[in-house]
Amino acid sequence: MPDITLKVNDATHTISAEARKTLADLLRDDLDLTGTHLGCEHGVCGACTVIVDGRAVRSCLMLAVQAAGTEVTTVEGLAPDDGLSTVQQAMWDSHSFQCGFCTPGFLMQASAFLNNHPDADERQIREALSGNICRCTGYQSIIEGVLLAAERNRQR
Amino acid sequence: MAGIVAERYTGASIKRSEDQRILTGAGRYVDDIKLPGMLHAAFVRSPLAHAQVLSVDVSAARALPGVVAVFTGAELEAMTVPGPDALMALMGWAGPTPQFTLLATDKVRFVGDPVVIVIADSRYVAEDGCELVEVEYDDLPPVANAAFALDPSSPPLFANLGDNIARLHSRKEYGDVSGAFASAERVMDFHIDVHRHQNVPMEGRGCVASYDADLGALTIHAATQSVHVSKIAVAMRLGMEQGKVRALAGDIGGSFGLKIGASREELAVAAASRELGRPVKWVEDRTENLTASGQAREESFAVRAAVSNDGDLLGLDVKAVVDTGAYPGMGAMVPDIMEAMLPGPYKLAALGFESTAVTTNKASYVAYRGPWASETFVRERVLDLIARDLGLDPLEIRLRNAAPRTDPPASMVTGRPLVGVTTRESLERIAQLVDIPAFRRRQAEARAQGRYLGIGVATFIEAAPGPREPGGPSGPMGLESMRLRLEEDGIVALFTGQMPHGQSHQTTLAQIAADEFGVPFEQVRVVVGDTDIVPFGLTGGSRSATMTGGVALHGARQLKAKVLDFASHLMEASAQDLVIADGYISVRGDPASAIAVGEVARQAASGDFDADVDAHLEVEAAFDGGEGGWSGGTHCATVEVDVETGIVTVERYVVAEDCGALINPAIVEGQIRGGVAQGIGAVLLERSAYDEYGNCQSATFMDYLVPTACEIPRIEIEHLETVPLDADVNFRGVGEGGMIVAPPTLVSAIEDALSPFGVRIYEQHLPPARILELIAASDSGQ
Repeated sequence: MPDITLKVNDATHTISAEARKTLADLLRDDLDLTGTHLGCEHGVCGACTVIVDGRAVRSCLMLAVQAAGTEVTTVEGLAPDDGLSTVQQAMWDSHSFQCGFCTPGFLMQASAFLNNHPDADERQIREALSGNICRCTGYQSIIEGVLLAAERNRQR
Repeated sequence: MAGIVAERYTGASIKRSEDQRILTGAGRYVDDIKLPGMLHAAFVRSPLAHAQVLSVDVSAARALPGVVAVFTGAELEAMTVPGPDALMALMGWAGPTPQFTLLATDKVRFVGDPVVIVIADSRYVAEDGCELVEVEYDDLPPVANAAFALDPSSPPLFANLGDNIARLHSRKEYGDVSGAFASAERVMDFHIDVHRHQNVPMEGRGCVASYDADLGALTIHAATQSVHVSKIAVAMRLGMEQGKVRALAGDIGGSFGLKIGASREELAVAAASRELGRPVKWVEDRTENLTASGQAREESFAVRAAVSNDGDLLGLDVKAVVDTGAYPGMGAMVPDIMEAMLPGPYKLAALGFESTAVTTNKASYVAYRGPWASETFVRERVLDLIARDLGLDPLEIRLRNAAPRTDPPASMVTGRPLVGVTTRESLERIAQLVDIPAFRRRQAEARAQGRYLGIGVATFIEAAPGPREPGGPSGPMGLESMRLRLEEDGIVALFTGQMPHGQSHQTTLAQIAADEFGVPFEQVRVVVGDTDIVPFGLTGGSRSATMTGGVALHGARQLKAKVLDFASHLMEASAQDLVIADGYISVRGDPASAIAVGEVARQAASGDFDADVDAHLEVEAAFDGGEGGWSGGTHCATVEVDVETGIVTVERYVVAEDCGALINPAIVEGQIRGGVAQGIGAVLLERSAYDEYGNCQSATFMDYLVPTACEIPRIEIEHLETVPLDADVNFRGVGEGGMIVAPPTLVSAIEDALSPFGVRIYEQHLPPARILELIAASDSGQ
C-alpha cells in the first residue's frame, strides 16, 4: 500500500492507503474525522464535500492517493479557535438545519463558494448549492443562512 | 456562549442547542461509532424479483483473507427465533401472517432481498466477499404490480398465504351511502393512482451490534425512531430476555417513518454479532437504501362521488388497493387510518370504503410521513374535479363543503368530532394572502401569450393528537411518559423515549421545561437514546408536540412542586411562599433569600434530613394528551407549466396552518417547509420505479431524483392559533402535514394551468414526460 502525505486541517499526516480507498474513508476511518458524512457514495448528494486546495470536492469520488500532497479542510477545521466561522454562525442563527447529516457538505460548499463569490445573490447561491441534497428543510433556511453569512462578510 | 434572554422561551424561535455539535462536525451518527474489534457486514442481495433459491455456495467468500464469517439464510435462521415483524406485533396485527426469514432461504421476493451476510475486517473486504458468493436461482413469474397480484393465477409470494392477498379490509358504510347516490344530481366515477416513492433520509439505515458473551448481553447502537422498539425487536428475534438487550442511539440523519424498530438486515447483524462475540457494523449504502430499505404509497382508488349541481359532495364510495411490496407490514395496516380520515374537515355525510392489500415483488411498503396521506389526495382531487366540472373556484368548493365550526362540534361521518378545526379560517386566510382575482387576470394575460399559469388549493387535517373522545379514559394517543430530575449541578434533566432525528426535541422540550420549572434554557438537559434510562416512547405520527411537550410541561410542574416542598424545609418557609425564577429559589418578595436550585439539590443529596422529608428530587410523569385537538390548514400553490418541455415551475407556495400554540416558530416552519419540499418532490420528480419484470429502475440518485435548492421555492407560512382546547397544552403536531397536503395542492395547480387543454388529472406523479403525454392525449392537444 502506498504511503501518502497530506495536510488536513493544518496537521500533516503520512498514512498508507490502499489504492481503492476513497478520501472520505481515509478521513473518517484513518483520521477519525467523522464530521464528513457519506450520503450516496456516487457523487450526487454532496454530504461528503471537503475543501481540497481551496476547491470544494466530493471526498467520496476522490481517491485518498489523489489527495497526496494536498491541503484538505473538513468541517472540523472550519471553526476558528474562538467560536464558529461566519458561515457556521449564520447557519445557527438561521435555524438552517434539522437532522444535520447533510450539514458538513453544505457548510463546506457554501464556505468555498462565498470565498470566491462574496456578492452572490439568492439565485446564484441556490445554483451553487444545487449539488447538495437536504431532505429535511426545503432549503429555505439554508439559503437564508448563506445570505446572512454573505451579508456579515461584506460588513466586516 | 451568552445565555439566551427571553421572558418566556416557549413560543420564541430559540436557537437550537443541537446545532453546536452538528455545525462543527461533532455530531455522532451510527456510522461514526468505532468499537474495539469491530467487524463490518455487507449483504448479498437478490438480482431477481421472484425466484427459488436452488443453491448458495459461500466457500470462496469464506476463503477470502479478511472475511471472518459468512452466514446463509438457513444458517441465520438457525441462529434466530421465528416471529412476526416487531412493529406489526406491537400494533396488534391480527391478519394472516406471512412466514419468512431474515435472509432469504427458499426463495427471493424482490430485487435487493438479502440472501447472505458477509462479515469482514472492513466494508471493502466484506463487499469483495459478497462478489464471491454464488447463488443459483430458478426464476418464478414476477408479480410486478397489484393488478397481477389480484389475479388468482399469480404465483403466491408466500406459500402459507396461498395467494397474494395480504389483507382484505371488508366493506364498511357510514351514513346512508345508497341513499346519497340515489338522490345525487350527479355521480362521478373515476380511478386515482398514487405512485410509489420513498423516504430517502440522507443517512440510510444502519447499526452496530455488540454482544458481550460474558454477560450474555447485546448492545445495539441503532439509527431508530424508538430505541425501545429496536430493543424489543432484537430481543424477540434473537430469543433473548429484554433485560439483556440495550439499544442506544445518538444523532440520526433523518428517517420520515423509515427507521421504526429494527429491519431484517439489522436483526441479521445483531444475530451475527452474538454468534461471533464481536461488534459488527452495517450501514447501508444509497443503492441498498433505494432498492431495499422500503418504499411507500403505491395505492390506487376506484372512486364514486355523489354530488349536487351546486357542488355539495354528498357521498363517496372508495375501493382501495394497496401494493405492500414483498413483506407486508405498514401497508396492510394503513387502510384503517385512510378510512377513518377520508371525510376530512368536510360535511360529507356518506362514505363506503373497502380495501385490499396485496403482496408484490417489490421492496416492502414502509411508513412515510403521513402514511395514510393518499386519502387527502383522493378527497382533494375529487373536490377539484367536481369544481372543474361545475365551473367553481377551488376555494369556493372547499368553503362550501367545509363543516362549520359549531358547538357541539360536527363529527366526521366516520366518527371523530371536528373539535377546534379551523379549515374555514385557513381557507379565508389564503384568500387574503393570495389575491386570486389578480392571479386570474395575470393567468388570462399569460395564456394570451402562450404561457400556462395555474393555481391550486388543498386542505387537510391531521389527528395530531386528535380530539379527546367523549367519555374516553385517556387521550387519543395513549400515554406519554417522562422522568424528570433536578441534578446537583442545577440541571433539570428530562428523560424521554422520544428519539429525535431532526425534530429538535433537545431544544423544544427544554424551552417548555425551562419556563415551567423556572430555570434558564441552558439549564435543561434532554436525555434520549438509551433503553436503560429512558421510558418507552416513539418519535412518529406527529405525536411529540402535544404528547411530549405536554408531559414536559406537567412533569416540570410536578418536579417544581416537589423541589419547593423540599426547599420549604431548608428555607423555613411555606412552599406556597417560595418561587423559582432564573434558577434560584427565593421567598416571594425577598430576593436576598435566593438559593440556587443546584444548591438545593446538593442539600437534598446530603441525607441530613428526617426520614419524613422527601428529598428525592425526581418525578415520573405521564400525560394523556389533555383535550387534544387537530392540526390542519390550507396550502396554495401557483405554478407555470412549460407546455413545450413539460417542466413545472412552482412560482409561489403559501401555507395557512393551525398547529395550535407554537413551541418554537422557526422549528415549526422548518417542519412545514421540509414536508412541502418532499411533497413537491413526490409530484414532480420522485418515483420508485420498477419495470414489468420487477427490476428496480431507481437505484441511484441519478435515477431517483430528489428536489434541490433550485426546485423548491420560498414557502410563505401564516400561523393560525385559533382555538385553545386545553388549559395548558395546546401544541399540536406539525411533522406530517406538509407532506400530506402538498401533493394535492400542486396537482390542483398543474391541472388548473392545463385547463385550456381540458386536462383532468387522476394521478400524483407528473414529471415532464407525463405532462406532455397529458397534453397530447387531451381534447385540444392536437
